[in-house]
Amino acid sequence: MKKSSIIGLIIIALAIGAIVSMYGDASTYEGFEVAASKPEKEFHVVGVLNREKEKYYDPQKDANYFSFYLIDEKGKESKVVYHNPEPTDFARSEKVVIVGSMEGDHFEASKILLKCPSKYNEQKVGV
Amino acid sequence: MGSVTFVGEHLFWGNLGHSAVVVSFISSILASLSYFFAERNPLDQSWSKLAKYSFHLNSLAVLTIIGSLFNIIYSHYFEYHYAWQHSSRELPVHFMISCFWEGQEGSFLLWIFWQMVIGQILLRTAKSWLNPVMAVLMLSQVALTSMLLGVKILSYKMGSSPFELLRNVMSNAPIFQQGDYLSKVKDGNGLNPLLQNYWMVIHPPTLFFGFATTVVPFAYAIAGLWRKDFKDWLKPALPWALISAMVLGTGIIMGGFWAYESLSFGGYWAWDPVENASLVPWIILIAGIHVMIIHRTTGNSYIVAVILILSSFLLVLYATFLTRSGILGNSSVHSFTDLGMSGQLLVFLLVFVVLSIVLMAWRWKLMPRSAKDEEIYTREFWMFIGSLVLVISSFQIILTTSIPVFNKLFGANMAPPADVIGHYNKWQMPMAIIIGILTGVAHSLKYKINKPEALRKIGIYAGVSLVLTVVLFFAFSLEHYVYMGLLFAATFGVITNAGILIPYLKGNIKLAGASVAHIGFGILLMGVLVSSANKKVISINETGQALNPEFNVKENVENIYLERGKPNKMGEYIITYVKDSQNWVNNYYQVNYKKLNAQGEVDYEFNLYPNGQLNPKMGLVANPDTKHYFSHDVFTYVSSVPGKKTEGTFINEKTHEVKPGDTIFTNNGYAILQGINSNTDAEKLDMKNFQVLLGAELKVYTLDKVYDAMPMYGIENNSATSYEAMVNEAKLKFRFTDVNPKNKTITIISSEQDTSGEFVIMKAIVFPWINLVWAGTIIMIIGFFLSILKRVSALKAV
Repeated sequence: MKKSSIIGLIIIALAIGAIVSMYGDASTYEGFEVAASKPEKEFHVVGVLNREKEKYYDPQKDANYFSFYLIDEKGKESKVVYHNPEPTDFARSEKVVIVGSMEGDHFEASKILLKCPSKYNEQKVGV
Repeated sequence: MGSVTFVGEHLFWGNLGHSAVVVSFISSILASLSYFFAERNPLDQSWSKLAKYSFHLNSLAVLTIIGSLFNIIYSHYFEYHYAWQHSSRELPVHFMISCFWEGQEGSFLLWIFWQMVIGQILLRTAKSWLNPVMAVLMLSQVALTSMLLGVKILSYKMGSSPFELLRNVMSNAPIFQQGDYLSKVKDGNGLNPLLQNYWMVIHPPTLFFGFATTVVPFAYAIAGLWRKDFKDWLKPALPWALISAMVLGTGIIMGGFWAYESLSFGGYWAWDPVENASLVPWIILIAGIHVMIIHRTTGNSYIVAVILILSSFLLVLYATFLTRSGILGNSSVHSFTDLGMSGQLLVFLLVFVVLSIVLMAWRWKLMPRSAKDEEIYTREFWMFIGSLVLVISSFQIILTTSIPVFNKLFGANMAPPADVIGHYNKWQMPMAIIIGILTGVAHSLKYKINKPEALRKIGIYAGVSLVLTVVLFFAFSLEHYVYMGLLFAATFGVITNAGILIPYLKGNIKLAGASVAHIGFGILLMGVLVSSANKKVISINETGQALNPEFNVKENVENIYLERGKPNKMGEYIITYVKDSQNWVNNYYQVNYKKLNAQGEVDYEFNLYPNGQLNPKMGLVANPDTKHYFSHDVFTYVSSVPGKKTEGTFINEKTHEVKPGDTIFTNNGYAILQGINSNTDAEKLDMKNFQVLLGAELKVYTLDKVYDAMPMYGIENNSATSYEAMVNEAKLKFRFTDVNPKNKTITIISSEQDTSGEFVIMKAIVFPWINLVWAGTIIMIIGFFLSILKRVSALKAV
């Protein structure tokens, strides 16, 4: 076999490896139900904040504990714990994307992404 | 609304700017076509004349657009949506420049401007290649200018004009029914606080100059295919490719430095899609440069060189599509807002992709091919392998970055990996190891043929590097042996290239560009390794804070709660949130760091001023502050601050019955009663005529300081008066309320100032040896610069 063919094969193998790894590592957007059935995997859950239930953050007691209730897009609710300070503007968020996995009775979020109604482009003229 | 007459608008500038956009669009079409026909009819001079004039007209129009837009921002003409949306009255001039490119339209304009400048340079330097190269460049100018048109063509809105009036953009708002609406639009939305940073004044122009320059090697490659000239274009294209690599590289690292200095994600690189999108064309360009050099010395690998050079520009267009079409959605922190131009962006990309593929296919049979495989013991073989590794590396990056595109194309439901950094690192670290080693191996070998000495030389360098790696491993106190590989690769790259560099130092330094650039790359790798492997979050609370027992303490508790004035122990530091101060729209929180030595004494201290802007539109925007040392950085930012402050009251009153020598414990420190003093000078207090006046001599110990306090107790005609003593810095108050002769004790009531309303929640990270990252980059850029000098003088020599 020519050297160039060997190199070509290695390149193809690595490219396939990259695709497989992308596919394997990619998380998916799911609801709490799927997350609960696979507690070992991390998921992206999209939902809205349940404003009727209390969100808890008391920095004097623990600056790294924030909890709230999120209703996912299928309507299922779960408690979410985030071991970080409450993101500012959290209460104003329209949509919340949390990344993490289910841990017993609650969803342990490692990341919170907020979608605010006016990220920076408020289409409203202040008078 | 036709009946309303609007007053106070400055329509002239908008009309001027918009007309200039139209003129520049038409003139760029004209220029592109005339250059095309000038190439087709080399004997007819009229085409090239027409081309030249229309390009000059285009340049003038571009400058007019920029002038009008800047004047609108500078004069605060908020009747224009762009000025209203991206600027405000309070902005200093240098930030007005950043407003200019905060929006999509302005950043396109920046790109158009650079492309125009590049065209002017080519006009004077491209000589025989002028016509085909400019035809391609102006085609790209047509595509970019179309993004600014804002004209409806058959119900499709083409482009988005920066000269759109506010009242047209938001025509439904009732305020625009009034003719004097402008008197009510007092101020603009202001500049995104994250961009209010001096790096944002220079990072975008640099990056866009880098993007813009990628079109030149692309245009030369296209011109080569077009003319069936598979040789001559490489020579002038190579210095352009090097310029592009240097500037784009500088722009990317400036972005990293900006992120590090002013964003709170804690680092210079986060594998964010927008960062990746600009990195990938750069890596491909680097691979392309290497293969171009291989081809110029050996005559092999022509097709690969062309493919890589074409791809780097196409990837710039793909990056543009990714970041501006809104397709990235939530997966990136800094993509532009969607302007509904995704279709147009896609057409832009596809036109150039199709052009490249068609030309390649058309000339496929004619292109020169390698006669035989490269020999293993040659520089070109290992350079080629290195370039392929770069291709794989960028393929992996662009693949994962494109997840949102796959979702759109195949209706998949994928999200970016939960552990993004881990995902990229597991691929990119082995790639970096191979690249690091190859930079040494390839440079030790000569082109075409090598004697056995070359191998012996590599062996010696490898031996020296191995010893040095072990030394550095312990010097940097790395923990995992996995890091040995990358550390060796980086060291080997630096040592070998330094060995090659030495003979050049006496001779022509211009020839040493490659060695210098590769030394820089090795140092950069080393810096990346050490600063990320040993990056340490130090804001982990070790004292005081009463953790709620219900909470299971997680490993990832990385934020520390700091009450104002109350020292906390954090790693090797005692930190205190001292005070905050307002400057313009920013709130600076002074945090004092005291470094302790092994004996627990204060070694040295410094203050950091992380800044938080409570922005009405974005909430808390935290900018870090960093203390730079030669060997490490202490990086600090506030992750949360209280909304409003409350006045200090005293709480936690505790009664202590003590005799001299006893200790009074409080949450803020402890006090020891030294003695009871009866010789107190009563006159200092007031006019009272005390029969007895006692002072309790207290020594108050806080974490880092000792204070004296003396609360007093006086008796006058059977009535007692207490005088409290405050220790302001420790937030403590002591009252001397009673004397108990029976037990020989006195009663002291201690209380603590309620500082619950004054606190910051802070995160602090130590980055060791991050200076290597910056130093490595700068050396690499110098290396590029030397190589450019060498290639330019080679051009002149002909």
